Amino acid sequence: MQRRTFLDALLGAAAATALSPLLAEARPGVPTRQPTRSIRYLRPPGARPEEEFLAHCIHCGQCGEICPNRCIQYFGHENGLRSLDTPYIVPREQACILCMKCGEVCPTDAIQPVARELAPILGKVRMGRARIDERLCLSYQGKTCGVCYRACPLQDVAIRVGRLEQPRVLKDCVGCGLCERSCIQIPQAIRIIPDYG
Amino acid sequence: MGTPKPFFLWRHLNKLRWLSLSIVFAMLVALPFMHVYQTFTAAHAYDLLAPAEKQLYDVMETLTGVFTEDPAEDLDAIKGNTWSGSFFGLQLSDPLAIAGQMAAGLKLYAPFLLTALIPVLFTLLLGRFFCGWICPATLLYELNTNVSTWLSRLGFKVGNRHFDRRLKYAVLGVGLLLSAATGSVLMAAIYPPAIVGRELYYAIALGGFGAGTLFFVGTLLFDTLVARRGFCRYVCPGGALYSLLGRYRLVRIRRIAESCNDCAKCNAVCEFGLDPLRDHFGQECNNCTACIAVCPTQAMTFVLRPTDIPEQGPGHLGKQYLRAHSEKGSIDAAP
Repeated sequence: MQRRTFLDALLGAAAATALSPLLAEARPGVPTRQPTRSIRYLRPPGARPEEEFLAHCIHCGQCGEICPNRCIQYFGHENGLRSLDTPYIVPREQACILCMKCGEVCPTDAIQPVARELAPILGKVRMGRARIDERLCLSYQGKTCGVCYRACPLQDVAIRVGRLEQPRVLKDCVGCGLCERSCIQIPQAIRIIPDYG
Repeated sequence: MGTPKPFFLWRHLNKLRWLSLSIVFAMLVALPFMHVYQTFTAAHAYDLLAPAEKQLYDVMETLTGVFTEDPAEDLDAIKGNTWSGSFFGLQLSDPLAIAGQMAAGLKLYAPFLLTALIPVLFTLLLGRFFCGWICPATLLYELNTNVSTWLSRLGFKVGNRHFDRRLKYAVLGVGLLLSAATGSVLMAAIYPPAIVGRELYYAIALGGFGAGTLFFVGTLLFDTLVARRGFCRYVCPGGALYSLLGRYRLVRIRRIAESCNDCAKCNAVCEFGLDPLRDHFGQECNNCTACIAVCPTQAMTFVLRPTDIPEQGPGHLGKQYLRAHSEKGSIDAAP
């Protein structure tokens, strides 16, 4: 009898553990669990907020196949089963050039189409926002650099430089990552902090 | 002779089918190369390419130069794979992608729904034709069947177990439920055509196979060691959806009992383990026409009707029929 109660308890616990991630995520609209942040990744430009993105993406791979800069990579199992074969960008390896072709080709609107003009890009693209580490940044150490500013496709809209080319990120930064890609410091002094919505 | 004869070209459709499968597969191999070439042209750095990359560039330039002056833009016309792709502005998707996305998102998105319209219409007309004529995994599975046959001739033990065909409908149902519960289209991870399209892209353009290859090789081993064409017959959720859509398909294969001699080659050749000899095609026939091609007496043909014709009994050229009718002294029993 005792053994049976023990087995029941064991089975119940096993079932609860196995089902808990499913039950916790039963309502797609309400993010109950943040995506695993073990690696810092960006979704392609125009992507919906993370939960919505996962519900829309059919893992077809067309966004990567149209990217002229080959910056879009695909997850294996490292970010959880739900992210398997979904696109991501690691800006330090290859950053987004905001060509907006991926939104055009995406069949499910997981990556929304955005015209390649300033106003729509500022309005709809929210990949993340750059953050400067002043302890690492050369310009803040008195060695005039300004590479991040030169690399930015949205100069004076997303980033501005002051005395000694010291960069300052403005609130309109969309997080394409070209500054992080081009930073000459190792490790990079400017990083995109992803915005998963 | 009063017996109907099949149109003589039907026997050659199987070759056309292999051509179609090969073209689809070749496209899936060519597209990633085309994309890599596009990125090279977009980067304007021919001199900086490695020797192998230069070779690729030259070959692709020769091949595509006939059609386009501006590959970086113009080659965008064909992208994607059979799971979802765009072809000169026409977007096409697998119905299973639609079903999975609807389950995961719990709402309809009209432009995406429309991308499956053409495949669904064709499926209503031709049944599970995707499985036989287009699916890039089918090419590998059928080649795998041939390899298994050679292996068995060499004395290896090849699996030939049978399971319940309805298993795949359960896989489809459970897959949709799991997609809805997790809010992610999990179906894409176990659907071979989607896997093959993706993995070819990973291997060629991104420098290595992904996790899906392991799963796909697993299905090949399952087919060889456990059940012939087992994944397609018993597990594939897409096959299940296509079978359901094609249940009342208009274009069917039928047996002409008058010229059938009961040799059962059609049953032996049928990849899906159906029973053409007893007129049991059902919803799972994919009109692959292998039985038409193999029939020695030309007793297989197409018919336009929404259901299978009722069972016709033994073939009129077979021993069973001849014996039965000669005993009765019927005039039909002519040699």
